Amino acid sequence: MDKRAEGLSRLAKAAAPTLFGLFAVLLLAAPLRFAYGFVPTPILPLVIVYFWTLYGPSYMPAPSVFAIGLLQDFLTGGPLGLWAAVYLGVQYIVLSQRSYFIGRELSVVWVGFAFAAAGASLILWLVMSLMSGELLPLWGLMFQMFITVAAYPVFSIAFSHLHRRVIVEM
Amino acid sequence: MDVLGQDRREGLGRKAESRFVLLLMMLVSVLLLLSSLYSAEASVFRKARENVLDVAAPILSIFAKPIAYVQGVVGDVGDYFNTLEQNQALREENAELRQWMEEALRLRETIAVYERLQNYYAGPEATPIDAFVIGESNDAFSHSMLVNAGSGDGVERGQAVLDDQGLVGRIVDVGVRASRILLLTDVQSRVPVYVEDANLEGILVGRTKANPSISFTASTDPVVFTPGQRVLTSGAGGSLPRGLAIGVIVGAEKGDAVVDLYADYARTRMVRVVNYDFPVFEEAPEQGADEAPAEAAAVDSAASALTPTAPAGGDPFADPDARAAAAALPGEPEGVD
Repeated sequence: MDKRAEGLSRLAKAAAPTLFGLFAVLLLAAPLRFAYGFVPTPILPLVIVYFWTLYGPSYMPAPSVFAIGLLQDFLTGGPLGLWAAVYLGVQYIVLSQRSYFIGRELSVVWVGFAFAAAGASLILWLVMSLMSGELLPLWGLMFQMFITVAAYPVFSIAFSHLHRRVIVEM
Repeated sequence: MDVLGQDRREGLGRKAESRFVLLLMMLVSVLLLLSSLYSAEASVFRKARENVLDVAAPILSIFAKPIAYVQGVVGDVGDYFNTLEQNQALREENAELRQWMEEALRLRETIAVYERLQNYYAGPEATPIDAFVIGESNDAFSHSMLVNAGSGDGVERGQAVLDDQGLVGRIVDVGVRASRILLLTDVQSRVPVYVEDANLEGILVGRTKANPSISFTASTDPVVFTPGQRVLTSGAGGSLPRGLAIGVIVGAEKGDAVVDLYADYARTRMVRVVNYDFPVFEEAPEQGADEAPAEAAAVDSAASALTPTAPAGGDPFADPDARAAAAALPGEPEGVD
């Protein structure tokens, strides 16, 4: 009985980042409309994918990232596989630079996130421009990514407490 | 504050064994992306989107309730600070609307006269379906909203969606209890429109910006429009009813008219799906053959008008004696008349 409870809690901890990611996608699809829609919703799943790929890659395996991206594709109604490809691309870049970023201060990791967000924006813009057959305006995307990057430290601090105190420890 | 991951920094020599899985997933998603770019409207993708929509709808509805509540409260607090200006603005608007009401009443009377004069056939009535916005795509490039009404409520693909201001968009995906509206600002949105008082027809094209623009059909006539003219759906192509208000022209850009939408997407909470039935055109019957059915119809209608009144007005079985008599003469019920 005790062993089963322990197993369950371990499973819940292992699945927690993935579930956060899926939850964040649902939150992204909710009509939050900060400041009457003037401020776009930050792309929280990007933060989650970046954070756990960096600090706990075993908690954010590629199939989880794929699932998070695919759910977002379904809910935004865009071409299927777009956000999945974006998140997996971010994961690939982060994994290749992980040895540099791990253990650095928040500000360094923050700059890394800004680069990851820029890379993600580039993929998004290229694919959507290709799809619509014209060069789309970049302003909206840049503003949304700027908000996401600006919100990163808040989520990063919250997630690092969560990761250290709840998911890894105990 | 100590830094996360500090203690494990040295132990990072080992390669991630999951690199293969990552590359595999990337390959899968790129293939998926290519195939969905190639055939975005393939029925498999559509079906999958609609199924996910149905699954996500209850969760999104749960999210949407507290969000709407909080926004209502925050909106109210904001209103306290500009009550005076709002009051003033509302009073002015009220005065203006009263004038419009007078004109509308006068016009209604005129139209009633014309309807009596002419052989007027009213168009089919639209029966709107009300729905709440439970989600939206918070994405720079795809602009859509999710509403909590689906095929179970009578929503169908292609129907127009209005809010209290004007046209919001069109239904593109329909689940059983939720559906997706493609907004007019989406890059895929194309709506046939006309400009009032300008004799201009065109297509309203979404450009991912807040203001879509009308690209006019190529013609030899010069395209002349002025800011302030109203833009309405033209009904061309038979996908949307004619005359739904969309917005006003605010400017020009490379020969296209930039349109300021009446719909305010940041405030769209409740929408109305218009399931408009298009009139079906039947072939006109020949002149000679026209008379007989008309007469038959007249007879039919006369009969149907008489049938319900005969027992009530004539009342042949009002007194029990007559009823008994009728029962005694089962062969000839006409005799009672």
